[in-house]
Amino acid sequence: MGLRETIWAEPLVESLHVLTLTLFLGFSVFLDLRLLGVTMQRKRASEVLAQFNPWLFAGFAIMIITGVFLFCGDPVSFYATSFFKIKMILLVLACINVLVFNRTVGRRIADWDLAAKTPTAAKVAAVLSLVLWIAIIGAGRAIAYVLPPP
Amino acid sequence: MTGLAMLLKEFCTWCSNSFFGHGVRDSVWLFPSIEIIHLVGLGVLGGTVLIINMRLLGIRFRDEAVSDLARELQPWMKGSLIIMLISGFLLFASEAEKLYGNWAFRAKMISLALAILFTFTYYRKVTLSEEDKLTPLGNWTAALVSFVLWTGVGLAGRAIGYV
Repeated sequence: MGLRETIWAEPLVESLHVLTLTLFLGFSVFLDLRLLGVTMQRKRASEVLAQFNPWLFAGFAIMIITGVFLFCGDPVSFYATSFFKIKMILLVLACINVLVFNRTVGRRIADWDLAAKTPTAAKVAAVLSLVLWIAIIGAGRAIAYVLPPP
Repeated sequence: MTGLAMLLKEFCTWCSNSFFGHGVRDSVWLFPSIEIIHLVGLGVLGGTVLIINMRLLGIRFRDEAVSDLARELQPWMKGSLIIMLISGFLLFASEAEKLYGNWAFRAKMISLALAILFTFTYYRKVTLSEEDKLTPLGNWTAALVSFVLWTGVGLAGRAIGYV
């Protein structure tokens, strides 16, 4: 009910979900690129992380909330598609990647803040993050093909 | 039909019948794959615009000069814009004849032209200015107009599929 029965709710929530990519994916990509030493090398890694963090959280929250709304519009069909399950597994992996980073190399960020080369562990986390988020976008897009909008 | 409309319609027909229009249309995987590239480009382009706008508004990276941040992010902005334009063009070509009459697509192209024009004129001038030449009004104008125009492109783009 609700989402399924109005004409505007679904497109609006979906647009918000897609356009929040600019905030969430955009900021994640630039954090990852900083960790890889590709951009913003003159800024401390901890500074970039601190500046991005509140907005990453906000973007993630909007993604989850709008995502849950979209899911609730037709939970049975969503769950029936394998791409939805793949997306959820990838999402859990991406979160684990963040948690592992925060508890290991991210905790010692002050030690390598301005180092010419960021530690390999940080680069691995960055590459994993890029690959996982792009795969999540792919799986998300694929859901729409299996499950065309009403 | 006016001359311009006829020219545009002919261009759409040509795109649709071209090898890339056919290629993307006839392949099962090409369209979704290009769409994913288009979306990743959206994230990067939108990310650069948001970061620079947040700096203009004094929300983020206040310790750094606007022009330093803008110069650093400019290659990413241009690169992602080019990727979006190419991937977008390929997606368009595969269904060009259908899109010709789609009002959301037209709205998107008009907003896109305005957004690009604004980005490479006023916005560029402000973001590359020396710090002492910046005014709060100029910063706010640059940030808000670019945000509204790019959001317009995104929303109209989303609407294409629903029209």
